Amino acid sequence: MQGRLRPLGSERAWLWIMLAPTLAGIAFGTAGSLLASGVLSLTAWDLINPPSWAGLGNYARCLGDPKFLAAVRVTLRFAALYVPLCVALSLALALLLNRGLRGQGFFRAMFFAPSITSAVAIGLVFTWIYAKDEGLLNRLLQVLGLRPVNWLGEGAIFYAVTIANVWGALGEGMIVLLAGLKAVPATYYEAATIDGAGGARKFFRITLPLISPTIFFQVIIATVNGLQAFEYIYMLTRRSQGESTMATVVYLIYRNGFRWFSMGLASAQAMILAAVIVLLMLAYFRLEKRLVVYD
Amino acid sequence: MRRRMGYAVLAASALCLATLASCGGKKPAGSIKALNWGTEQEAAVWNELAAAFTKKTGIKVEIETAEWSVYWDKINTLYAAGTPPEVFAMDAPLFMDWYSRGALASLQGYIDREKGFLEGVYPQTLAAYRTPEGFYGLPRDFQTVALFYNKDMFDAAGLGYPDESWTLEELRAAARKLTSKGPDGKIKQWGLQADLWDIETFMSEVVWAYGGEIMSADMSKTAIADKMEPWKLIAAMVQEDKSIPDQDSLSQYGSDAFLAGKAAMITTGHWMVPSYAPVSFKWAVAPFPKGPAGRVTSINSAGFVMAKGCKNPDAGWEWIKYVMSKEGQTKLAELGFAIPTRRDVAEGPAFLEQAIKIDHKLFLDAVEYARVKPVFKGYDRWSSAFGESMAGIYKPGAKVEAVVSAAAQAADAALAGAGK
Repeated sequence: MQGRLRPLGSERAWLWIMLAPTLAGIAFGTAGSLLASGVLSLTAWDLINPPSWAGLGNYARCLGDPKFLAAVRVTLRFAALYVPLCVALSLALALLLNRGLRGQGFFRAMFFAPSITSAVAIGLVFTWIYAKDEGLLNRLLQVLGLRPVNWLGEGAIFYAVTIANVWGALGEGMIVLLAGLKAVPATYYEAATIDGAGGARKFFRITLPLISPTIFFQVIIATVNGLQAFEYIYMLTRRSQGESTMATVVYLIYRNGFRWFSMGLASAQAMILAAVIVLLMLAYFRLEKRLVVYD
Repeated sequence: MRRRMGYAVLAASALCLATLASCGGKKPAGSIKALNWGTEQEAAVWNELAAAFTKKTGIKVEIETAEWSVYWDKINTLYAAGTPPEVFAMDAPLFMDWYSRGALASLQGYIDREKGFLEGVYPQTLAAYRTPEGFYGLPRDFQTVALFYNKDMFDAAGLGYPDESWTLEELRAAARKLTSKGPDGKIKQWGLQADLWDIETFMSEVVWAYGGEIMSADMSKTAIADKMEPWKLIAAMVQEDKSIPDQDSLSQYGSDAFLAGKAAMITTGHWMVPSYAPVSFKWAVAPFPKGPAGRVTSINSAGFVMAKGCKNPDAGWEWIKYVMSKEGQTKLAELGFAIPTRRDVAEGPAFLEQAIKIDHKLFLDAVEYARVKPVFKGYDRWSSAFGESMAGIYKPGAKVEAVVSAAAQAADAALAGAGK
């Protein structure tokens, strides 16, 4: 629909002027660091001495390292749960808060609050909620006559950490999807109502197709965020010695690069993660043609 | 020492103004960066120390604090940016990682110029920083590990307090008696908090007390699994007696169940004394219990190193010299957590007659039977791999031999990959 809008005359110049800061940021910040990581991944660099050429050694080491492979599995498994939960719950929230409820603005603000709160503070609060013996959640379970769970122990920790991450991301997803919902013309619903369509029919035939580009966007954002999740994982799974009980790829990058003097190896791991993300994006864009409705 | 909580942080980042002093000036001047890890209280003492130093020498020192893990990120980043600080605090086990990469400046020339400078410094604390090319660091303070116990819990259980006659078997028996469950079957009180991740505060002492070793003599191979007796004792305490809490349980008490009044004993260093001072229960300290091969504790130091290529090395040395002096060490003793490395200060009122009344002398006497915490390149990586595998000991039914052997293997694999 809006794709047909074209800048005219002097608008063209203004367009570039307005975009310049962002483009510069992308060129130097994003592309620059990507390029730097790519070069560093082919070197051995301890941050102290000049990097020395290592060829593909860092990559070979990654692929032969069970810890790294385990981290890749954890990361993919995490994202596989995180992305659908994140998108589905954000959508549910957006739908609920788009119905003109009383206090809607308040609820929107509350659900968005985690996005603007320090992840470290939230992580700390979650450690209290999840604590084994004195935790809020287990107290609640016991009041309800249920058995307490060692939330941050082996097994449960994966779900506990995923839930915390999803909770933290709901606000942002909700805002984006709300914007999508707002853009659906009310006339479509009116026409459907006159034709006798019910709520579910309207949702699946009008709402879902019309906001599918927004959902697609949200899936992409959630995937990238999920594969790069760090703060809550750091706060909830870090042991006193700095090791994580649920080490993801980003966690290993941090440990290798900043604690163990292996910036080359960390860069190789970052490049592998970037490659995984790119591959997923390519797959997504293929799917987009079939699943996403434009116009 | 690397995990000490109260002892964690201090980092100083300063505008390292290029030497404003005129070219002819012989005396070091200008300003320096001096980074430490430590708490805010520690930062206050460091700032006081820096103020006294500036008054004396005219050299400005800027102190800044950072938490332990952030501290190392910061140092690494400063190096990567080509602006390393003049002086930064070093944990002895990590020294080799920095020295072997050529990151540090030699202090030997300075030391040679100061006659008798190292006289009266505990030799065990110097060992970590001595290289074939002389000293590349000096100890700022040191730590020995002892047994801290909650007197109230011993009284309630009707048990006699730990003393120098205690063996590790007696420690186990007492820990078992001091462990109690609530009506819901959950453990309400543990006998002993023992760190089974880093070797410093419990595992190395027990291994040594049984005549075992942590590393091979040349520090190239993990020797920890060569003798199983110490591990059988530890495993029995964890698995049969359940007197040692696991990390999941500990994490809900800020990783310190002793402080939270949930564990009757803990083996740890003097650095915890200020943190334990305000608690509501009565506590005291005893020497680390003996094993079949005698009594052994661990000694470790925090030191100062100078970055190679820093802007103002001469002024940096003046700061190190001052902190190592009798005046500096006396002031540092006021921090309450560390033990001065100068014998005359450690054995004087500044350390022995602190406001917190416990047997401080015990920590000095421990030097006699202490072994130096192993120092080798890749320590952090080695320790992480070892600790991660050792966590397997908490799993119900885990075979101790298998867990310890796997941990030693993981540690060796990590060591092989360190620094590449």
